[in-house]
Amino acid sequence: MAGAQHVPARRRRRTRGFVQVAGSVAAERLRLNAFGHAYLGLGAALIGILFYLALAAQVTQSSYDITRLQDQQRQLVAEQDQLRYQEVTLHAPAEVQQQAAQSGMQRAAPVAYVPAQPVAIDLEAPAGASGTDGTPLWERYLAALFNNVGGTRDVLAAGH
Amino acid sequence: MGARLRILALLTVAALLSGAVWARLAYWQVLRHVQLSAQAQAQYHELVELPAVRGVIFDRNMTQLVVNTTVYSAFVSPDQVAPADRDRVASGLASVLGVDKAGVMQTLESGSKFAYVQRRFSKAKADQLRALKLPGVGLEDESQRSYLPGIAAGSSLAANLLGFVNYDGQGRYGLEQYYQSELAGTAGYISSYRDLANREIILGTHTHQDPINGSDLVLSLDANVQYAAEQALADGVKKANAESGSVLIMDPSTGGIVAWADYPSYDANSFNHTDTSLFKDNISSYLYEPGSVMKVVTLSGAINQGAITPDTVINDPGYLNVGGYRIYDWDRRNHGSINYTYVLEHSLNVGAMKAMQAEGHAACYSYLKGFGLTQASGIDVAGESFVPLPAQDQMSDSQYATTAFGQGIGVNMVQMLSAVNVVANGGRYAPPHAVERVGTSINPLLLKPQRQVITPATAQQMTAMMEAVVQHGSGWTARVKGFELNEAGKTGTSQIPVNGKYTLDVWASYVGFLPANHPKFTMIVVMRKPHVPGSDRDWTLNDGYFTAAPVWQKIAQAMVVDWRITPT
Repeated sequence: MAGAQHVPARRRRRTRGFVQVAGSVAAERLRLNAFGHAYLGLGAALIGILFYLALAAQVTQSSYDITRLQDQQRQLVAEQDQLRYQEVTLHAPAEVQQQAAQSGMQRAAPVAYVPAQPVAIDLEAPAGASGTDGTPLWERYLAALFNNVGGTRDVLAAGH
Repeated sequence: MGARLRILALLTVAALLSGAVWARLAYWQVLRHVQLSAQAQAQYHELVELPAVRGVIFDRNMTQLVVNTTVYSAFVSPDQVAPADRDRVASGLASVLGVDKAGVMQTLESGSKFAYVQRRFSKAKADQLRALKLPGVGLEDESQRSYLPGIAAGSSLAANLLGFVNYDGQGRYGLEQYYQSELAGTAGYISSYRDLANREIILGTHTHQDPINGSDLVLSLDANVQYAAEQALADGVKKANAESGSVLIMDPSTGGIVAWADYPSYDANSFNHTDTSLFKDNISSYLYEPGSVMKVVTLSGAINQGAITPDTVINDPGYLNVGGYRIYDWDRRNHGSINYTYVLEHSLNVGAMKAMQAEGHAACYSYLKGFGLTQASGIDVAGESFVPLPAQDQMSDSQYATTAFGQGIGVNMVQMLSAVNVVANGGRYAPPHAVERVGTSINPLLLKPQRQVITPATAQQMTAMMEAVVQHGSGWTARVKGFELNEAGKTGTSQIPVNGKYTLDVWASYVGFLPANHPKFTMIVVMRKPHVPGSDRDWTLNDGYFTAAPVWQKIAQAMVVDWRITPT
């Protein structure tokens, strides 16, 4: 092995974790002994347990709230159904008749029908002025002019 | 050798032991796999059903006829009630629910896990019970159908048409049964996984399917007319001292049912306390011989065939010999020379038989078919009954003869009204139906073309003949004020056969439409076994003109007012 070159052993550097560093720093500053470490661990565990318990309590409380609200919703839906039935029943023929009877009303049959009289209008004839209209032409033009200029009467009549 | 033997023995033992273990594993994992996986699935898999809301039912004016309401059931867990609290719990339950206190005490002392105290009571009682905060007492809510009140305490509106829904959510009778699948909808579900403490595993497989609510039904029924019909019918049945009665009203142009009334009826809200015989609907499930109402069909066919006209003159000696039988008119009188309008006015059997003979058996049979009397009407209400007619060549002469005036043929009221409605509808057959819309879909029946059975001219002639019945004949008791000259009708009375022999009991009926020239409704009234006081001396007092026609008149009068029908 004469030709073998001596390679100096590289010293491996161990990386210290944040917790270890923080722990050692805290230990140095607080100067904790072995019992101190134990207490610290127990305290951390206790905090964890308390945190878990608080979370579990919150979840339980939420589930209770959900159940209560669901129950409340069911009751409200039932109440709505009940009101719907009351509303429908109020409009039912039986109820209407009962209310009417209590108010002294009664169903009246029509006493008589008036027979239709024949009218002197030919409903089949086309609308508008008939070919036999005897009105002078100048009167028709005048009427048309008034209708165009101040034709509010027709408009009003149509509106009513 | 000793060492080898020992090693061999050890290996054998090890092999046997491992074999036993493998066999056991194979037993649990292979042979029992299905059963165990199902058990495991049942333990951690939870399927919660999400019930669908049942569709409601509206009338033609969108008046709601059925409402879904919530009812409650009270249960108790006796093992959770301390002995000291038992008396308080029993007293509270007895006072609110009206149950027997001693019975509740007995249940509480049994120490069992669960017992119902009372089922399906109102929300008001449930609220009272909830306020008492009784230990070990719980409430369970369930859905229930609530129907509108009818004419009296023991009835609900249109009970025989609507039917009811039983406690399992199944529609029974009427529309509730016929449209069960459409009304019920499809239930949804939530499928999730649970841990040993029954907590949901959020990250587990979680499937959710929303329920599909049932479709609403919109009927052609008019709740106000229905109520008026039920009232008039109840009065009529009582007055005629009849066993029962029914009214059916139809929209002439569409075939939509406007009213469907039976008396006696029942309260669908308390179906569990009702005599089950009342559930049967007498309109579509009861077969009867229509009597002289059938003459409308017979004469319409003969006129349409060209065999007769309303003015054709025949000789009516009061009887006719057919197929070896002598068949009489109802009054057994010799009427001499009369025309067919007179035949219908006075409801003469001889005239009807002669009209049938004039048109011939084949034509008569084809018209019976055309008017819908040889097959079921196909109405969308559960439980329709019908008797198919024998084949054309298997009917005897006497059978054709009696059929001509409505005896010896069994029909239901829907079939008969639809047949007469052909005349009101200008000769077209409008398929009868109760539902106009299911959800947003129109009933397909309404979209189909109506078949032409007789010509409009024949329908017009028959209408005039039926008007004459009201003006000069047996229909005078159905005259509606103001419509005396514009009303068409026909009476019918037929004897009820028992064990093959006709008895003195009758089916009395009246059918008609109004106004005659532009009909707004067609209506039939049937009374079963009327026994009007004095009818033991004069049996004609039980006839249709005296028992059924006045009921028709009363309902028609109410409709004229409600629907604002005016004479034209």
